[in-house]
Amino acid sequence: MDLRICVPLGALFEDSLEAMAGVGLPVDPLRDAGRRLIVQVPDGPTYITTRPSDVPTYVESGAADLGIVGRDVLLERQPDVYELADLGFGGCRMSWCTPDGDDPTAEAIERFGVVRVATKYVNCAERFFEETGRKADIVKVNGSVELAPLVGLSDGIVDLVATGRTLRENGLVEREEIFTSTARLIANRVSHKMQAPLMDDLVRRFEELQP
Amino acid sequence: MTDPVPLPAGVRDVLPVEAAELRALGDALAGAFASFGFREVMTPVIELADVLDRAEEDGVGRAYRLFDDEGRVLVLRPDLTIPIARLVATRMADQPDPVRVSYNARAVRPPAPGKIEGAEQRQAGIELVGLAGPEADAEVIAALAIALAAAGVPDARIAIGSVALVSAVVEGVGADLAAQAAMWVALRGRSLVDWRAAATGTGATGEAGAVLADLPSLRGGGEVLGRVAAAVPAAAGECARLQEVLRLVALHGVEPPMVDLGVVRDWAYYSGVVIEAYAAGAMAPVAVGGRYDGLAARFGRARPAVGVAVALDLLHHAVGRAAEQPDSGIVLVGGCDQLIEAAAALRAQGVDVVALPADAADAEAVALADGRRFVVRRDGDGWIARDVIGGADIAVPDLGEGPWT
Repeated sequence: MDLRICVPLGALFEDSLEAMAGVGLPVDPLRDAGRRLIVQVPDGPTYITTRPSDVPTYVESGAADLGIVGRDVLLERQPDVYELADLGFGGCRMSWCTPDGDDPTAEAIERFGVVRVATKYVNCAERFFEETGRKADIVKVNGSVELAPLVGLSDGIVDLVATGRTLRENGLVEREEIFTSTARLIANRVSHKMQAPLMDDLVRRFEELQP
Repeated sequence: MTDPVPLPAGVRDVLPVEAAELRALGDALAGAFASFGFREVMTPVIELADVLDRAEEDGVGRAYRLFDDEGRVLVLRPDLTIPIARLVATRMADQPDPVRVSYNARAVRPPAPGKIEGAEQRQAGIELVGLAGPEADAEVIAALAIALAAAGVPDARIAIGSVALVSAVVEGVGADLAAQAAMWVALRGRSLVDWRAAATGTGATGEAGAVLADLPSLRGGGEVLGRVAAAVPAAAGECARLQEVLRLVALHGVEPPMVDLGVVRDWAYYSGVVIEAYAAGAMAPVAVGGRYDGLAARFGRARPAVGVAVALDLLHHAVGRAAEQPDSGIVLVGGCDQLIEAAAALRAQGVDVVALPADAADAEAVALADGRRFVVRRDGDGWIARDVIGGADIAVPDLGEGPWT
């Protein structure tokens, strides 16, 4: 099987393995990969493991034929790939969150004409505030986004919320939901055609996993 | 330390080896196109923005724009089909149907951040204007298949879909306008997941509902079209047409394309069959095209048209390295000062002569850099040829009868 699959490390990793095992892909070598980034299964696929946000890059460029990635990353990166199936796991939502108490959003717009937003998801945040008719100053931060509004860097954050625990621990409240996200199976545009029977068969089996 | 010498984002230089390979690819494609009677035309690099903007409801979108000295907005052509359609509709308006034109030129689009795709895109394509039937669709597909094979991509795969067929299905099942819009957004974004969600929202049931939900995933041979036609009678006409295209392509002696109803194009001017070609090693389709019957009318001369463009840079990635660099021709030391006449005589015989001054310091280095095998020097009444690959020196009495002739 000459197939390269890009698997996200981190939160989606375990569920991805389970889903791939569910459709009959040999995933045990991937479990025992240690620190190796590429795992080649004899007579099976080659797995490439990357950060979740890099998955679309590898698939779009054809370095991988298939990939598993959250819808949040697809909406942020807008890669030119086929989104073949909703894998159901990795459920979360992209939300606009501000500190507990009165929501500062309306007042910020009213008094300063702009709401200050800290986020890792610059494009999603920009689109959301444009679509809702508000002007936003977006500050890109790379980690611990929750910190930004607490120290006055921004009025709030646009970030992924799964359980809401991190938000609560930092005294933040979800104000507006932007979209919901689950893991998706994506394919390179050329691989999707050159390996059509294999792809179609895999997609069908992934879909059969869904309740 | 010298200052850096940057280029604008997304563009690059092409060095001799690549230029030769791109030229060879372009020539191979042009030869195949010419065998169908497509004649080359050239359009200007810049156009008036309001003219090109007529091609699309929302204007041509992402493009470099600039002003001329009278303040009019100009656009660097972001696509070639639109300028060619303009050319055919105006300059060739009186030309009898059908008009067959080809081109090999560059389209320029501002690079999208984070994308590998370059700003300059070399495209070699054809447009067949004035024929509305499936025979024209089939000819363009066949010409593409033959051209790709001629360019050295024997295993290219061609897929065809039809925006008219998709429209017929979507309207045939009674989807309302909002649902239709959502489905087109999903399809253009290549999200089969969003498509399915929108399809489910139409409330279409039974086999028609199943076909609608699966439409962009349906692919294979003619049987796919049979299934769609049976489930959604409103689309039967478009299915039959695509079926006929498949039949006619086979008569051209090329492998019939795969039917893939998920194939769409980003430009809204496409109105019928849409075409994509793929090759292993190219990250995106090596050729794209389709039928665009409404475009020419926007430039004043309504005529149906179908065409396809090969992305030369992508194709270049899909073909292997050209056969070893030419070992024809020689480097002649003294050829540009003391031995000009000898160099001229040899060129007249058809041998390439790279001329160096008589006191050239390292002729062998020039030969290696230029991909020439022999360095020739005067030696008494004869010549000494050094083989820079083998390393041997060969005595050659007559310059016109060396291993290079």
